[in-house]
Amino acid sequence: MGAAAALDCDAELMLRVKDGDEASFGLLLDKYRASVSHFLYRMVQDQAVSEELAQEVFLRVYKSRETYEPTAKFTTWLFRIATHLALNWLRDEKNERAQERLDQSTEDGPAREVADRAATVEQQMVYEVKVEEVRCAVAALPDKQRAAVLMHKYEEMEYSQIAKVLSCSESAVKSLLFRAYETLRVRLAHMA
Amino acid sequence: MNCPIKSQENTEWLLEYSANRLDKERTAMIARHLQICPECARFVEAQRRVWDALGRWEPEPVSAGFDRRLYGRIDALPASWMGRLFRPLHPLWRPAVPLAAACLLIVAGVVLHAPKAVLNPADSQVRVEKTSAEQVERTLDDMQMLRELAVTPAPEGSSSKSM
Repeated sequence: MGAAAALDCDAELMLRVKDGDEASFGLLLDKYRASVSHFLYRMVQDQAVSEELAQEVFLRVYKSRETYEPTAKFTTWLFRIATHLALNWLRDEKNERAQERLDQSTEDGPAREVADRAATVEQQMVYEVKVEEVRCAVAALPDKQRAAVLMHKYEEMEYSQIAKVLSCSESAVKSLLFRAYETLRVRLAHMA
Repeated sequence: MNCPIKSQENTEWLLEYSANRLDKERTAMIARHLQICPECARFVEAQRRVWDALGRWEPEPVSAGFDRRLYGRIDALPASWMGRLFRPLHPLWRPAVPLAAACLLIVAGVVLHAPKAVLNPADSQVRVEKTSAEQVERTLDDMQMLRELAVTPAPEGSSSKSM
């Protein structure tokens, strides 16, 4: 792991940030701004929240610069922060929604869904129906399975790296992914 | 190879094969297996549909003010006491480092290339030889003087005593 980290140029950049080089932080921000924001968007499915969380991720990276040690790949560390924040937000959001349901138990109408809340009229116009279905299918996955799928599909992470991000074993990641894709295959079976 | 679905072994190979991320050797193994296993073939077909569907999902671009807001928050962070102490010097010490290094190199160069007082062994030998010659001469002079003293007749009293 140490040798791999030694070859990680992002870790090198982060070490320069640690030495007070603000420009290196800018380079890391340029490189990972989009992928972190998109990962968080796909996790929480709310544009405003995902950007707020992405800001928090980079703020934490900056705040941790003095204590940073390249013990793992930089992206593992970065996405661990992002995943941690997203899972915490989803947990709090679920608790909040559960509380709302309790408060509004006498009211009629369906419970608010994450996807429904995120989908504005404009977004409905932009996104195709199929994309909306994909979004719903992903949103319906358990949080950890969703995180694993997003890292596997969009970040092209290895099983070992996903395992480090999610703090679990590689076999647990294989199992998470297999179950997640199984669900998606059923839900998206009609899509050609 | 064993059927990944039936044996529940290497099921991730099917996922990676569907995503075209499997290495050549395993890709060939799976491809051969798919020709004889309709169950795995259906799995791969369905998984590829999922993969393509996920690929259609493009999130919105990050808002233009993202960096400005982030740097605003960074500037608002309370600095540590060390940071506060050295912050005013920060723009100064950075260019000073190469300058100091250059000075150090010059000093080192001067020290290393300064003319040294080299000891010439021949000189010391000459000096030793010179010293020895003088000593010999002085000794000879002393001997000469003693000889002359011996030739000089001794006082009477002293000669009777010696006799």
